[in-house]
Amino acid sequence: MQYTDACVFPLPLGDSSLRRMALEARELGFDSIVAAGVAGSVYRGIEIIGGTLIHAKETREVQAVLRKDNSQRSLPIVSAGGYSFNRAVIQAGWAKVIREIHATPRNSFDHIISRMAADKQVAVDLDLSVLIQERGYMRQKVLQRYADLVSLQGRFDFPFTISSGARSILDMKSRRDMIALCGLFGLDRDGALSALGNVSRIIHREKSVEVVG
Amino acid sequence: MKPRPPTMRGKRRYILVRMDPPGLDLDGRELYYAVSESLTDIFGDAGVARIQPSVVSCGEGYAIIRCTRSAEDQVIAGLATVAYIRERKVAIRSILTSGTMRSLRQHLDTLRDGQSFPERDVTFQGRPWISVRFRGTKVDLFEKGFKNQERLFLTEDDLEE
Repeated sequence: MQYTDACVFPLPLGDSSLRRMALEARELGFDSIVAAGVAGSVYRGIEIIGGTLIHAKETREVQAVLRKDNSQRSLPIVSAGGYSFNRAVIQAGWAKVIREIHATPRNSFDHIISRMAADKQVAVDLDLSVLIQERGYMRQKVLQRYADLVSLQGRFDFPFTISSGARSILDMKSRRDMIALCGLFGLDRDGALSALGNVSRIIHREKSVEVVG
Repeated sequence: MKPRPPTMRGKRRYILVRMDPPGLDLDGRELYYAVSESLTDIFGDAGVARIQPSVVSCGEGYAIIRCTRSAEDQVIAGLATVAYIRERKVAIRSILTSGTMRSLRQHLDTLRDGQSFPERDVTFQGRPWISVRFRGTKVDLFEKGFKNQERLFLTEDDLEE
């Protein structure tokens, strides 16, 4: 299985270069990283997957960004919004990963959208950086939200991805740390390891269908 | 006082951790307060009383943390949430868990390989920096100045471009 940190932010968004993050990821037990706003490449055996982060309020904006970014290799990652936005984005298949669900209202991702995400194989990203940065009430809220997502995932089996959301190599977490952090909201070891391998599954599933001749 | 027989003592686990960035001069007390505060934030006072964390060894970028058996995952999660110590950004990465300190010390001997950090002056993005080379091809840049020094994490390949 290829383990992937599903979202990191290298220079100029953070204080660490993409190559340094790739080296660090290798030491922390990963085979690949998804880096925001860069082109895909390979550095010293670590696959760097370009991620297109889309923050939009309306689905038209998502469509416009995807039309502009015609590089087929980058992974479209859409920040979650209200119920209708999430539903439209998942149903249309524009997003491969949907993130920042913890920042949206509780009813914005329910059992109906969960089933849709499972059908379309759209992954839900669990960003661990918020668990580290936040304290008190806000951290409790994020933990509750992630626990709710884990229970929905147990029922509908949509894919999870796990990201460190790192802007520095000091924010990057090892696989071991990520598994322990996932335990805080009830995602067990097998579930966490499976989630760490989901980015490559999503990408390779896309590549497996090719029209020849 | 007669010591309690081994079979009646509580079982412990020891966790070997690495403290990043390299060159960080933390003492055991500072590390203990940071870990304890982080664990209290997550598990509360009752949880920390059950976990019984303590720093048994600290130095040269590595530390050994002790806890009760079956609480090691909680300690690892707590360590992962430590982001700042003395207002400096840090990362505490768990490396190995064991039932004895001896095996961790043996592992630690293989990790400490005569670290030397050569420094030199470089220019990056049109600004003067002091570069420090760490393990392998890793290079950290420290902005020249008296205070609020920015630190960048790069590789040799980044500097050569």
